[in-house]
Amino acid sequence: MKKHGAWLAWLFMLMFFTLPLLALVPEAFSDGGSAFGRVFGDSLFVAATRNTVILGLVAGAVSALVGTAIAIEIARQPAHHRQWMLTVLGLPLAFSGLVIAYGFILCFGRAGFVTQIVAFAGADPAEVGSWIYSVGGLGFAYAYYLIPRVALSLYPVFANFDNAPTLAARTLGASRLRAFIDTVIPEVAPSVLSAGCLVAALAMGTYGTALALVGTQLNILPLLLLAKVSDGGTDFSAAAAMSLVLMAICVLVLGIGDVITNRRERKTH
Amino acid sequence: MSLLLDHITYTYPGTTHGLHDVSLRVDTGELVAVIGPSGSGKSTLLKLVAGLETGHTGSILLNGENVAGKPMHQRNIGMVFQQYALFPHLSVVDNVAYGLKLRKVPLNERQNRARDLLALTGLAEYAERSISRLSGGQQQRVALARALAIDPLALLLDEPLAALDASIRGHLRDQIRTIQKRFNATTLLVTHDQEEALTMADKVAVLKDGRLLQFSTPEEIYRAPANKAVAEFVGLSTILPATVIARDLIDAGFARLATATGHRQVGQSVFALIRPENIVPTPSSDATNRISGHIGTQRYLGSIYRYDFLADGAALPLLVESHQIAGNAIALPPEHITLLDS
Repeated sequence: MKKHGAWLAWLFMLMFFTLPLLALVPEAFSDGGSAFGRVFGDSLFVAATRNTVILGLVAGAVSALVGTAIAIEIARQPAHHRQWMLTVLGLPLAFSGLVIAYGFILCFGRAGFVTQIVAFAGADPAEVGSWIYSVGGLGFAYAYYLIPRVALSLYPVFANFDNAPTLAARTLGASRLRAFIDTVIPEVAPSVLSAGCLVAALAMGTYGTALALVGTQLNILPLLLLAKVSDGGTDFSAAAAMSLVLMAICVLVLGIGDVITNRRERKTH
Repeated sequence: MSLLLDHITYTYPGTTHGLHDVSLRVDTGELVAVIGPSGSGKSTLLKLVAGLETGHTGSILLNGENVAGKPMHQRNIGMVFQQYALFPHLSVVDNVAYGLKLRKVPLNERQNRARDLLALTGLAEYAERSISRLSGGQQQRVALARALAIDPLALLLDEPLAALDASIRGHLRDQIRTIQKRFNATTLLVTHDQEEALTMADKVAVLKDGRLLQFSTPEEIYRAPANKAVAEFVGLSTILPATVIARDLIDAGFARLATATGHRQVGQSVFALIRPENIVPTPSSDATNRISGHIGTQRYLGSIYRYDFLADGAALPLLVESHQIAGNAIALPPEHITLLDS
């Protein structure tokens, strides 16, 4: 039964994950690989790649930092508080990216109520309201559902964190800050970096929220790719090449997270 | 380097639990064990000395200086935790050298000192290893070396053997004691294991409900417990309720027993404490305090038998330990019956 279950799992993996991705390879190389030349020679693609990497790294870093702070706070709560905090934290993950984008436009767009409040303080509403349509604004919107993802994945790390080495460091003469740097950071940093890499990869690959929020105003890889394969697009081999590049970037970022985690595990086990 | 706890009182916030007017002294190079049932306050006492808990009244004098207001990292105390509390990301030698690094001891010097301590604890060959590749006993020895590396004013041992298998506990117990003596470390040991306390300590403090019941040598604690609570907690025994009916004679209900009654008055209620190894399993027919009865539950412990002797007319069994099982009579030597005031 176990054997059959494993085969079924591999079959599904092959059909729904591996095959669609592998199908991109012959398409990308259908014209002898010249699609890659066209893609890398396109200044729009180069700019999109740069913007995508910046978006992923900024959204990943901000989400990792804020998510870590939330995870620490949840871990410090008594059990009954923890439960409802975890439930509330899981809600943003269930929302559609379109809903989130619309909510952010209503709050931070040119006519958004936060923008209006800031305008009362003397800021230019047009300038403030346009920020949400920038790479930074998009990263801010992404953080809405990336932060809970980080917090939920890191909460067990902090809930099960053994405080005794920190106390031992304190008794040996370490100040509170020094003990934190010497004992807590080495223990949790790999998990935080790994979670950051995961959400950075997600931010680089996602397009729903970006499409709803900025349409085609912002040049990032997922939206450029969408333009290539949508009704007006004709260069499918270039689109496939672009897909492979985007996939490679995401895999690279995820791989970095895995390497960090594995190196840490090898050292402590 | 002495440690003096002077009238320490501490209550956990929002509770009535804590410590009530506890005073004890650990002289230079002495090992004092604090024992008591769960919730007796023994761990709290250790935490107060380490600075892990604050807000007590009374003084904690380390080498004559009151450290009550000092943060824990300035107390210069070496502490060994029950679950080792080693730094998993550091090698064995770096764990031991950590406290020296904080004291800005040059790299070569601290590495040499750490290696010396590892050699002393029999772990020289493991210096470069990862902590996770050591057994529990080895990890605890690293923790001991780490605590001693900083040349602490006092060494605190918080149930250091509790997480280890019984098979290595005895060996490590002896090793800790040897190293503690070699360093002449003023040591406070907290344990729930009375055997550990009696075998390792120069003096034992018995706590119950946050109060110090007795502070004395292991022999005195065992042979002359201050009261019934200490007698019940330390060692195995039978404690019989009795009444003094004449000078050097008590009535235990099922028998009249001869024993020294000391200053006690006729009619006074007492408890008669009898240790199992002091009961004579094969008494002569004219033995003093000869009691008839029969054997109840038997336990074979390898070198001896431990069994219940049900005296005729008695409500409680008498616990006996001997190399051979008694017949239908035992004797309670008068000099081995200790009377405790009720």
